[in-house]
Amino acid sequence: MLDILSLLDITFFLLAALGALVGIIFGAIPGMTATMAVAVCLPLTYALGLHHGLALLLGLYVGGISGGMVPAVLLNIPGTPSSITTTFDGYPMAQRGEGERALRVCVVASVVGGLVSAAILFLFAPLLAEFSIKFSYVEKFLIILLALTVIASMSRNMLVGIFSGVLGIWLSLIGTYSISDGGNGKTRLMFDFLEPYLFEGFSLLPVLIGIFGIATILLEAEQGVKSGLSGKEIKIGKGGGFSFGIFRGRLTNLVRSSFIGTFVGMLPGVGGSAASVLAYTQEKNLSRDSSEMGKGAPQGLIASESANNALTGGALIPLLSLGIPGDSTTAVLIGAFTLQGIQVGPLFIPENADTWYVMMTALVFANGVMFFLMFYAIKHIAKVVLVPKYILYPIIVMMCVVGAYAINYGIMFDVWTLLIFGVLGYLIQKVGLEVAPLIIGFILGGQAEVYFVKSLESFGGYSIFFTKSPIAVVLWALIAASVTFSVVMGLKSHAKRRLETSQ
Amino acid sequence: MSMPNVPKTLGVSVLMAGMAFGSAAAMAADGPLRGNVRVVIGSTSTGGDTYQNSSIVVDALAEKLDLNMKVDAVGASSAFRFLDRDPRGNTLMIFHDQSYLGYLYGVEGYDNIFEKYTIGPTVAINPGNAYLVPKDSPYENLDQVIAAVGDGEEVRVAIQPGGVSEIGFSALKNAIAIEHPGMEDNLVAVNTGSQADKNQQLFDDQADLINGTVQANEQYTRLPADDQKAMRFVWLTARQGTIEQAPEDGLGQTSREQLLEYVEPNVTVTMGDENFTFDKEFFFLYNKDMDPAIVDQIDEALGEIYAEGEIQEVQKNSFFIPNFKPSDEAAEYLENKMSVYEGVIENIQ
Repeated sequence: MLDILSLLDITFFLLAALGALVGIIFGAIPGMTATMAVAVCLPLTYALGLHHGLALLLGLYVGGISGGMVPAVLLNIPGTPSSITTTFDGYPMAQRGEGERALRVCVVASVVGGLVSAAILFLFAPLLAEFSIKFSYVEKFLIILLALTVIASMSRNMLVGIFSGVLGIWLSLIGTYSISDGGNGKTRLMFDFLEPYLFEGFSLLPVLIGIFGIATILLEAEQGVKSGLSGKEIKIGKGGGFSFGIFRGRLTNLVRSSFIGTFVGMLPGVGGSAASVLAYTQEKNLSRDSSEMGKGAPQGLIASESANNALTGGALIPLLSLGIPGDSTTAVLIGAFTLQGIQVGPLFIPENADTWYVMMTALVFANGVMFFLMFYAIKHIAKVVLVPKYILYPIIVMMCVVGAYAINYGIMFDVWTLLIFGVLGYLIQKVGLEVAPLIIGFILGGQAEVYFVKSLESFGGYSIFFTKSPIAVVLWALIAASVTFSVVMGLKSHAKRRLETSQ
Repeated sequence: MSMPNVPKTLGVSVLMAGMAFGSAAAMAADGPLRGNVRVVIGSTSTGGDTYQNSSIVVDALAEKLDLNMKVDAVGASSAFRFLDRDPRGNTLMIFHDQSYLGYLYGVEGYDNIFEKYTIGPTVAINPGNAYLVPKDSPYENLDQVIAAVGDGEEVRVAIQPGGVSEIGFSALKNAIAIEHPGMEDNLVAVNTGSQADKNQQLFDDQADLINGTVQANEQYTRLPADDQKAMRFVWLTARQGTIEQAPEDGLGQTSREQLLEYVEPNVTVTMGDENFTFDKEFFFLYNKDMDPAIVDQIDEALGEIYAEGEIQEVQKNSFFIPNFKPSDEAAEYLENKMSVYEGVIENIQ
């Protein structure tokens, strides 16, 4: 044990704190992600050595995932893909002048999510890794399908919502069924002249910031420039209205979402954004009153943010106990080990006990630093909305363009994607389609296809989806429950509306 | 353990961060290669062998040439496109045998690199390409797999199609076609993606044999036999001479001596006259119109680096086998290598 204490020097903690700070900044800038932050700093691990390097990278990881909440709440732009569900309730709250309150809810939810997942990682990693390999293509497909059912429950008009979702899935299938996923590598859903640009399809991040950020700005621009401040009604400081009382009666949500986040994180190949979407769905389905969700309810923020931070511990489970990264950021993180010549695999934890404890310390410490940095800085961060829109929006557009260009190391078509989806986002709102289901379809569509096709290839027939394992049966039950719930809720609100109009 | 110098360590990190973000061009360089040099690689992973190996080589090269050089993991199709666009020499590429195997397997986005690009020097071999079975598999070794397929038994092999992961499978199929004509179709490819997917196929009993690597799978081979995840190596595709150059301790807790049990002459896959082997080799690719003086400059610089002998130690510590061949030699060698594999692939079509 003393050995480990000697590894934890001041530099170690300073680096973890620095990582968290830089990570938050990366996460908060639309177009920059936790993955990018870790990738940019990866070469530093050469100079820093493994343990100091890991402190920095884990700080970046935790900070980067958390930072995404800031633009999601204040500007309706998810800073990272996993914070899209944060925009659903965060932005309406910010528009009501409750940006600071929303952010504080997010920060508390984030730190709880992060710490719960760290605890699960510490106590159960090998056991859970054992469990995660029970999830074959079939179960992974069903998880994605379950997350997709959120489309039905979150749309204002179910039919339109489902149509938007299907449109999103269709958009996600443009490109190739990649050979690196075992596909045939042939392009589809495009004209030949588009092949050089769309070979790998539209990339996620430009689509996301286009459809949220640019479209929001276009909608605002339509209303013309007003000289007034963008957030006159903003409540800052004591008037922010935050108290820990918000969490009363929300503990189940908090814990459930943290568990969902950890769980989705530990399934390799099921992307991080599925975590917050799934937690959001479950809160919507299971909470006593979910009628305000999507219109600015703190419970939506709690679900989304605790789940996406819980992803951090979850994604480290397969990395450290199977040698398989759980999400895109841990896929970069694995480089820190290989660059130092350390194998990660099923024997990593028993054979590298020091490194394991060091990582746990860094993870918990980074969560703490993230909490203090953000909880006390929010007052100032929330003032972003006080910047006049005619100054703020051009800066956001510029950052979006830079982020889109940088995300795949300098592809100009990504900037065009940003513009195309910005305009598309604007248009679909004009014609009455719904953005949120579309984007969820887009994010999950590609994975749904791969796992569906692979299930059929591996197991032969459609019946396998029902008979593969008890886990599959449980997932079907959850899917059925989620769909039934959406239909019942849909009918109820329909009846309510009819009652109101008849009165 | 002494306390490290805090300000110094932090200073170094800030300095490195500056470099990572890309700073001003190094002016001291006086060769034909100038300014910032971007080295794109054919993999999108910064955790993989291509990135690791490229970092080692590029760091040494940057220091030798006193240039600012950075490795970018952009993936094969982007990397080729970036290279196509830049004849100045400020974009270079490092990739491995996938670059021509993709072409041989007809994967979209791959052209004949020997016609379209200038082949640069080879720098290292990753000797880890391997095939594994579950620890409780009925097949003791690769010969038994070949014999079983020859007897009409179906054996499923999980691979990622279209390249390095498939070439061993193709060779195995070819060997079966030679030794047991007409039976080769009993060796079935299960097309999967990442290493995680291939492992999962084995855990799910959807594959009998999987492609893997010594680096990624060594720990799985040390699990107890009753563990669902436990595996066994049956074949390393590398040449015997390549594994012999590996560090004596091997990798993890599998020694070089143990690894040698899975290569020639203990495990053989026939191609008729000789046996099939496959070393995954990393080399530079240049834009065809790039100034030949730059080709010479990099050859010369790498020649000096390898003559100094330090890089070999770094490579071996990371389980790479140093293998420097200057451009001309590399081009001829790789073209020969390609024609051998072309024969194998054509044979089984």
